[in-house]
Amino acid sequence: MTDARAAILARLAGHRTDQATIAAQAAALLDRVGPTRPDRVRGAPDAVFLQRLASPAIGATGERIATLAELPEAVSRYLAAHALPPLVAVQPHPELAGLAWAGIATHADITPDEAVAVGLAHGGIAETASLVFHSGAHSPTLFAFLPMHHIVALHAHSVRPWLEDHIAADPPRNVNLVTGPSGTTDIEGTLVRGAHGPGHLHVVMIGSNNDADPVAATRPA
Amino acid sequence: MSADFTARAGAALADPTLKIAIDRTTITARTKRASAIAAWPEFPLARALGRDIKDHVIAHLDHYLLEFEANAIASGARVHWAETAQQACDITVALCRAADARSVTRSKSMLGEEIGLPHALAQAGIERVETDLAEHIIQLAGERPSHIIWPALHKTREQVGELFAREHHGALPLDTAEQMMASARRELREKFLAADVGISGANFLIADTGAVCTVTNEGNAELTTTPPRLHIVTAGIEKLVPSTAHAMSLLRLLVRSATGAELTQYTSFHRGPRRPGDTDGPTEFHIILVDNGRTRMRAEGLAEMLRCLRCGACLNHCVVFRQIGGHAYGGTYPGPMGAVITPILDGLAASHDLPNACTLNGQCQEVCPVAIPLPTLLRGWRDRSWREGLEPASLRGSLALWRFVARRPALYRAATALALPMMRLFARRGWISAMPLAGGWTRHRDLPAPPARGFMAQYAARQKAARR
Repeated sequence: MTDARAAILARLAGHRTDQATIAAQAAALLDRVGPTRPDRVRGAPDAVFLQRLASPAIGATGERIATLAELPEAVSRYLAAHALPPLVAVQPHPELAGLAWAGIATHADITPDEAVAVGLAHGGIAETASLVFHSGAHSPTLFAFLPMHHIVALHAHSVRPWLEDHIAADPPRNVNLVTGPSGTTDIEGTLVRGAHGPGHLHVVMIGSNNDADPVAATRPA
Repeated sequence: MSADFTARAGAALADPTLKIAIDRTTITARTKRASAIAAWPEFPLARALGRDIKDHVIAHLDHYLLEFEANAIASGARVHWAETAQQACDITVALCRAADARSVTRSKSMLGEEIGLPHALAQAGIERVETDLAEHIIQLAGERPSHIIWPALHKTREQVGELFAREHHGALPLDTAEQMMASARRELREKFLAADVGISGANFLIADTGAVCTVTNEGNAELTTTPPRLHIVTAGIEKLVPSTAHAMSLLRLLVRSATGAELTQYTSFHRGPRRPGDTDGPTEFHIILVDNGRTRMRAEGLAEMLRCLRCGACLNHCVVFRQIGGHAYGGTYPGPMGAVITPILDGLAASHDLPNACTLNGQCQEVCPVAIPLPTLLRGWRDRSWREGLEPASLRGSLALWRFVARRPALYRAATALALPMMRLFARRGWISAMPLAGGWTRHRDLPAPPARGFMAQYAARQKAARR
């Protein structure tokens, strides 16, 4: 399809702007982002994250534990509260594999009708209460999409204020921002929960991050 | 107006169930968008930024296409170029055939609809499974999308329940939207994992990484693109942005304008095929860059239309769309944005009615998250349609008559002085609900009764009174 490529590019060719000018214009646009951010959430990013997570618009649940070692207990509590069998798929992440999963049968391969999966997010975004997943050997993409219940551990120190704060310079195959359980508005525009992805999302915040810069737009007060 | 459009619009207006369906979704959509924008006082600044980001990209489109292509290839993707819809479909079908694909899952993409991909796959004998709930609904019903965000907007929940009861294999209850979604989830579950190829569109193409961004609420895009051997992306060339950070600014605008949420449940950036160590993901990743009229739009005064993020806000706020729905427009894209784009895709001769099916009230421009001057662009088409002689003789004749009278003030005043009292004979409590020669108007709404005397007569009387 070399011909189509040449034809399209020929129709677009006009007066040439040099690369440096284009790059400077693109950078100048980003300088304007700060004052456009929805500046109505304030506080430590991890606290704002949990607060936003529980809002009806997002519809997820959250809790905080002191250390990752307490995650299996938190998972057990969740399973008991939802009357689910102690059988979970655990994301093949070294930090999770090293935990004492007493009383819970775990497996690393996720099945299409998996009831519960436990994962560890790459990071979080306070602005939208979004979890960030980076695909890789330790984080298969389907873990965030196949289970009915997705329980996600999130290090408090990995939660950053804004959507722009988790952009990787050399991103992996998939970067997935997950904001609440799956849903659809396709029938009469009304949001209902539980579409093809998880119907329930539970975030377990690990530790706290009181030293972090509070969430606030970069503008004069 | 041509017989086709008039007939379609007439049929839509005569369908009371359609009106219920349109109202249910568009009223919800307008309410949710309004509260999302009200909670975002920075919206005007964000909107100006979004407009300028898109204008910057459109001005330097060749630069960004080449940057994107190089980075996508470096990530292991294969990049294809298509000038026309036919070329894009041919490339897609050839890729499916080369992979011996029997089953294809598809995540909703308006570009796919625009190029006629569902039809091309059917012609090639490849099973197509639509995974977005609304696309699943219309696939089962054998219909076309009627809205760019809610393709099944024309269906009430009662109609969807009846359709699923007939077509789904499970025996799940289908009384609520939740139950209908659960039934579709079960119906499609195995098909996601059995597909050979997953096809998606792109909400953004990220030039500096070569990544493709998709947004969904259902999670169907990732389930479409991750399990199969091939992921094929079909994307319009106007979807480019310089970087992920630029995409974030546009995402803030897009999602609030579309569904009133702050971010879709799933916002994903796909970059190349499976890598060493990955346990899932496609082994081949193809991106088809589609022109299909976009370079023409840029060259022929419609560059501003290439800003469009496909949020659907202009549809939800359009007084015409809200009466006739999407199918009456006859093209892939309905509503104000569709009335601007369709003449490029289908030719002005076949679609000159669409720019005329508009009151020019300006609501669409007001709610557009990238400030596209839709009424101006629609007037441009009207002008061109007139100059090319596409308007029917009856319209040209009546306008010529009106011009003849309007250029002779004495005659015009005499005619108005005669017409106004006649019109008032048909009025009841200030409104005319039926009158000879006005059936086209009064069949679906009342006409306000005019005052007894026209403006010039009233003005003259006031001037006279003031001089006394």
